[in-house]
Amino acid sequence: MPRPPPRTERPPWTRQALPSLLSVALALLVCFIAIALSRSDLGVAARAYLEMIWGGLGDIPGFLATGDWSVLTRAWGESATKAALLTFTGLAVSAAFFVGLFNIGAQGQMTVGAIVAAVIGAKVTLPSGAHPLVAIAGAALAGALYALLPAVLKLRRGVHEVISTIMLNWIAVSLVENWLVVGPLRATASGDLSRSGTDEILATAELPRILGGLSRLNAGFPLALGAAFAVWFWLRRTTRGFETRAVGLGMNAARTAGIDIGARVYQTMALAGALAGTAGAVWVLGTEHKFPATLGASYGFDGIAISLIGQNHPLGVCVAAAFFGVLRAGGTRMQLLGVQKSFPELIQGLALLFVAGRLIWENLLRRPAKRMASEAEAPRA
Amino acid sequence: MAAVDGVSIELREGEIVALVGENGAGKSTLMNVLSGLYQPDGGEVLIDGEPVRFRSPRDAIARGIGMVHQHFMLIPPLTVAENVVLGSEPRRGGLLDIDAARIAVRETGERFGFSLEADAVIEELTVGSQQKVEIIKVLYRGARVLILDEPTAVLTPQESEDLFSVMRELAAAGHTILLITHKLREVLAVAGRVYVMRRGRLVAQVNARDSSELELAALMVGDAGRPRSTPSAHGTRGAVLLEIEDLRVLGARGVPALRGVSLKVHAGEVVGIAGVDGNGQRELAEAIIGLLQPTSGAVRLGGEPLHRLSVGEIRRRGLAYVPEDRLAQAIVGPMTAEENVALGRDRQLPFARGSLIDFAGRRARAAKLLEEYDVRPPDPQARIGSLSGGNQQKVVLAREMDAAPKLLVVVQPTRGLDISAVRAVHARLLSAREQGAGILLISLDLEEVLALSDRLYTLFEGRVTGELGRAEFDEKRVGALMMGAVEREPLAPRADA
Repeated sequence: MPRPPPRTERPPWTRQALPSLLSVALALLVCFIAIALSRSDLGVAARAYLEMIWGGLGDIPGFLATGDWSVLTRAWGESATKAALLTFTGLAVSAAFFVGLFNIGAQGQMTVGAIVAAVIGAKVTLPSGAHPLVAIAGAALAGALYALLPAVLKLRRGVHEVISTIMLNWIAVSLVENWLVVGPLRATASGDLSRSGTDEILATAELPRILGGLSRLNAGFPLALGAAFAVWFWLRRTTRGFETRAVGLGMNAARTAGIDIGARVYQTMALAGALAGTAGAVWVLGTEHKFPATLGASYGFDGIAISLIGQNHPLGVCVAAAFFGVLRAGGTRMQLLGVQKSFPELIQGLALLFVAGRLIWENLLRRPAKRMASEAEAPRA
Repeated sequence: MAAVDGVSIELREGEIVALVGENGAGKSTLMNVLSGLYQPDGGEVLIDGEPVRFRSPRDAIARGIGMVHQHFMLIPPLTVAENVVLGSEPRRGGLLDIDAARIAVRETGERFGFSLEADAVIEELTVGSQQKVEIIKVLYRGARVLILDEPTAVLTPQESEDLFSVMRELAAAGHTILLITHKLREVLAVAGRVYVMRRGRLVAQVNARDSSELELAALMVGDAGRPRSTPSAHGTRGAVLLEIEDLRVLGARGVPALRGVSLKVHAGEVVGIAGVDGNGQRELAEAIIGLLQPTSGAVRLGGEPLHRLSVGEIRRRGLAYVPEDRLAQAIVGPMTAEENVALGRDRQLPFARGSLIDFAGRRARAAKLLEEYDVRPPDPQARIGSLSGGNQQKVVLAREMDAAPKLLVVVQPTRGLDISAVRAVHARLLSAREQGAGILLISLDLEEVLALSDRLYTLFEGRVTGELGRAEFDEKRVGALMMGAVEREPLAPRADA
């Protein structure tokens, strides 16, 4: 019977990353054409992209002209803030993939984490060093518990996690935004201003700004990078991480070898929820300083795209999050040219679509290389 | 090794021919050649005296050869008519002509005495009816020769009877049926001629009328009664290690798979389980290792009950397991050989230091084992999915033996391996026995069981039908017990059993 030829080396990282890089490039190209067509002007599209880059990476011509660093740091702060949130939610989705589960619920887990962080930040009095940490820990715990629900339903009752996490998203949104934020936790009116959302968090709970007044860049960004490293370390260097990968790649073989499947699934889903919950905390403590009327942004759903574009690798997630953080922060500048600011989201969506068609890329890439890892550690999404 | 080696068979119009043989005898390969899935390395297929070449199953069906698979290829939510025409739908103006499909299904059914509702949804039909849909499917495509692969494996006795009368109808209408099975009673009931295959070769052609189950069983098994290696450990067998008492287990579809099995394995002996596929072997192994929970009965290891313990705990108590389905149950394909060696023992020395992976220790142990077990390539970082089946099995065996088990449960340890790998695996099992381990060898390959075992039990329909010591090994007697024959004289309880 025919057998694939023995292949002893793992695919180099370039080969793993190539489908993502090509997908993003293609998405950029398609969007460029879309802008050019909508304005029937290539020049506008080119200038819009340029504005987006200056908006995300900092106005380099402006900096060169004036020598004012704040032109750059302000933009970096915006990009890094968005990148931090995308990193957390991207990791939350990736973590679940490690045990073969598709966590669509990062949005709900993030919402739960955000409201807990907002409450701890506003109602608990703590010294400034400990306050954000306690709020983040509370948010992570809330996210973890919320993510354990679908895991329990999956293992005990066979409920598909895609269904349960989607539904739990809506439950979280309804409970938090439609009840808590407008009901028991609504901001106490001060003076004649009517406010939406919850009470502002105490100053002690705010995530410290790294560059002081130069930028809104806060401690959430290094925290996200640290989390990515920690996830990688756990996955690749610890025995439990090893068992987790074994469960994701071959559940029956792992079970037969005596690995406790339930423990691995619960631990990993709790980790996923904790990461999404932390995203909520960083968003509240670092950017909004309260839970506003609605979460507004869909960072939890964006995490799915970030995770897949990052090929479920913690480093890949960081790179993808940084890239789309820059595009999104810069996207607002495109409005200056009358171009919709949501084009970065379109780029992200298209890139996800192209990555999802990874088999096509692999067939195209296989031709010169004959054969590459078709069982790369990716979900069958 | 050729799976099918120089086999010639002929099929005549309107006859039912059976092809029998043990697992791995080459039946499936032969039928896959006939149905266009495999290309032969030599020889040819002639239809009406004219040589044909099949590049795909589509070619085969175009020439009138249709295959009814053991595992149905039906789409459960669609109707009978939709399933039958799927792939060659009648069209009218570019749209599916479902009325034509209904009529075609009804007509085909009526011609051969099926009673099937064309609009019934597949998932609401019994297994027996689903199989009839499969048969109508090939007839609709114009098959003159129908190949049925283990058609009764999933049927109740009544459904089997039903199927046989359909087969007779078809033969009477001029169709030819090639029945592939290892259920000899059915062969004798329905077939005219019987071909017997063993180890890739055709060993006999007999008329069902003049034959008997015993004769066929003996032909299938061959002269396997003479052991290839003479185990030497008769004198050294130790205390009772594994004790199974009246074990009852439900199988996959909630049907009892084990109906009261009792057996013992001593330290330092190989105990074989002989039986035809699907008589409870798999469930026996999985109940011992803890993957299946018995409904009643007991499994004891060294006197300690294993009831309700996790697989991990049972393994820690000294049980090792080589499962039947290597790819699904024994290895994690995308992981490396060394990762697979550590699987399940990854928190112990030398694979871990504290809660971290000890990469150097793991690499060293894996490299030593791969060398010792002659795995090629002996590269601990090779992805195990890229190794050949034999080398994968050597890695699995290396892992299981490295845990220094008291008892090793092995299921089909040499399935699909070439001769040198088979020898290596057998030598490893015997050397584990020399070191005092008890081995429960569950295999569908009777030759293997007879060659390696010090003692064997025959399993039939979830019950132990016989227990034989090495001196009593006799392929005819074993074959008869495997087919459910009950020994006239009740087995005297052994002094030590």
